[in-house]
Amino acid sequence: MKNKIKIRHFAFAAIAASLAIVPALLQAGLVDSPAVFFLGKCIAFSIAAIGIDLIWGFTGILSLGHGLYFALGGYAMAMHLKMNATGGNITEFMHTGGLTRLPLIWRPFLSPILTAVLIFAIPAALSGLVGGFIFKKRVKGVYFSIISQALTWAAYSMFIALSPYTNGNIGITDIKSIFGAVRGAANYMNLFKIFYASLAALVLVYIMASFLVERKFGKILAAIRDAENRTYFSGYQASRYKSFIYVLSAAIAAAGGAVFVNFNGSITPSQMTISYSITMVVWVAIGGRGTIIGAVIGAFLINLCEYNLSSGSMVDIWQYIIGAMFCIAILFFKGGIAGLFSAQIPELARRFRAGREEESEAG
Amino acid sequence: MVQLVNAAFNGLSLSSIILLTSLGLAITFGLMKVINMAHGEFVMIGAYMTYITQQLFLAALPKASMSLYYFAAIPAAFLAAFALGCLTEKLIISRLYGREIDSLLATGGLSLVLQQAARSIFGSQGVNVEAPDFLKGGISAFGCTFSYNRIFILILVSATLLAIWILIYKTKFGSHMRAVMQNRPMAQCMGINSRRVDNITFGIGSGLAGLAGCSVALLGSVDSTAGQSYIVNSFMAVVLGGVGKIAGTVVGSAIIGFSGIAVESFTSSSIAKAIVLIIIIVFLQRKPQGLFTIRSRSLDE
Repeated sequence: MKNKIKIRHFAFAAIAASLAIVPALLQAGLVDSPAVFFLGKCIAFSIAAIGIDLIWGFTGILSLGHGLYFALGGYAMAMHLKMNATGGNITEFMHTGGLTRLPLIWRPFLSPILTAVLIFAIPAALSGLVGGFIFKKRVKGVYFSIISQALTWAAYSMFIALSPYTNGNIGITDIKSIFGAVRGAANYMNLFKIFYASLAALVLVYIMASFLVERKFGKILAAIRDAENRTYFSGYQASRYKSFIYVLSAAIAAAGGAVFVNFNGSITPSQMTISYSITMVVWVAIGGRGTIIGAVIGAFLINLCEYNLSSGSMVDIWQYIIGAMFCIAILFFKGGIAGLFSAQIPELARRFRAGREEESEAG
Repeated sequence: MVQLVNAAFNGLSLSSIILLTSLGLAITFGLMKVINMAHGEFVMIGAYMTYITQQLFLAALPKASMSLYYFAAIPAAFLAAFALGCLTEKLIISRLYGREIDSLLATGGLSLVLQQAARSIFGSQGVNVEAPDFLKGGISAFGCTFSYNRIFILILVSATLLAIWILIYKTKFGSHMRAVMQNRPMAQCMGINSRRVDNITFGIGSGLAGLAGCSVALLGSVDSTAGQSYIVNSFMAVVLGGVGKIAGTVVGSAIIGFSGIAVESFTSSSIAKAIVLIIIIVFLQRKPQGLFTIRSRSLDE
């Protein structure tokens, strides 16, 4: 067991190290700058995926609303960056929407410190409010999924309807990163700064998540996933653990969203949809649920495939592939890619060895 | 007064549309406890089947008999969704009984595939289904107009409800279905082929979604996301009404429909939708089992 955990961390260290040399490759001209932006987004996605893995993989609660928390973090960051760009004046879309002064909800985002707090505080408060009540009433399983889906849908319609404040369908666009402009060769330094900052965030989130799940706390989460009532009977207030992990994973997803905005340069309500939330679960399902490394692998792998396939003629086929892969992973490879390496391949090897021994005995 | 009648009719009409899309869910989710995330796509398939039937009639028959296409479209939409539902059950869902969340996710994957299939076949632009002549226009009474196609949907819903009631409570298959859903091992002992019952029940639930798609096609253009806009309300209607009770779904749809129209009179329609959903979420926090609960001493109900 001890050995297996080490392999996981080793795999993560390998991923992090190979990411760390990407900026050097860019300067050497071995990769192009879109690829760096793309890898930056992948870092953001894997942060969010770790959040989903905590709640779905470890605790067995399927939230179809993590796109909402991802987008809330993204919007908070984007609003701050937009304010940086306009120097605190009202934006064009507010002007078109008939506003003459900066609306009250935008004011906190003038300050970087308040923004940093709000990126986590808004999703945490919302998820705490929803989760706290729902889990206390012992709503579980698919009912929770349906409620989280409805919440996401409601927020999505709100964001579109309140276009003077959020720019509706278009979202907040034309923003720079927290270190200033990153596009173009002249701004490579800024790009590297934000890239390494994001990588550091990923490493931090990974360490925190691994720290949590390798302790007794992680065992209680797994107990809730496997037999919630027994956990209650054993004297654990399962609903508190569930609320806590829900809030934590929402905050992690929001951090992912905040990182994402820096590389993407915009945030739109499409990140808030139910299908986007499901896509995020797909990453974890294919990477391997219940292993933090699986979430990271899944987020990178799926997005790398999408990046390479979804241009040109492959764009149609890609949707089929991802849908089919998802079904197959759920049906036949419950542990995803990580499970393949940690359980299924060793099992096959064991059977193969056993078969050979039998043969040699018979012969 | 005129406004009130108008609002009441709009509420009734919206409720009936929600109910029509929820009835299939009331069977697959309510009775079988399977969350079919592709339910919205089955609605979409029904809508596209209506479009296909229309095009076939346009190509093959003289203009005068055009309106008749709708009578062919209704069974076509039902059967297409029914067949696909049975296939889905066989290939995916039957492997995942007892793993509710996994079946939710697997059907989520299916919904991605079906949406892309619709885009590949019909293009990402919406297609328009023309309402048959006898559903155009409306009757005027009390100073407001009741359009025929909304009245038609009301009639269709009532007829479907009656058919479901007869199916579940008056036929042999219905009694088998209830037996399997209530106590599977015992039903199997009595010689009921529970796999077949599961398969056909899921097919019927999907077929009802196709039927809903047939009427949804009359209300606006059909594209690959046609089902998505109904699915959230439908799930909420089933949960609000209380899972496992068709009557609950009727009441749940009515509440969502009427309160939607009521809130809409104060604000825009998309904010109204959001507010109604939030109110329901708050309500479900107080009464998580929904309005109509089946009393049970089982721990995991």
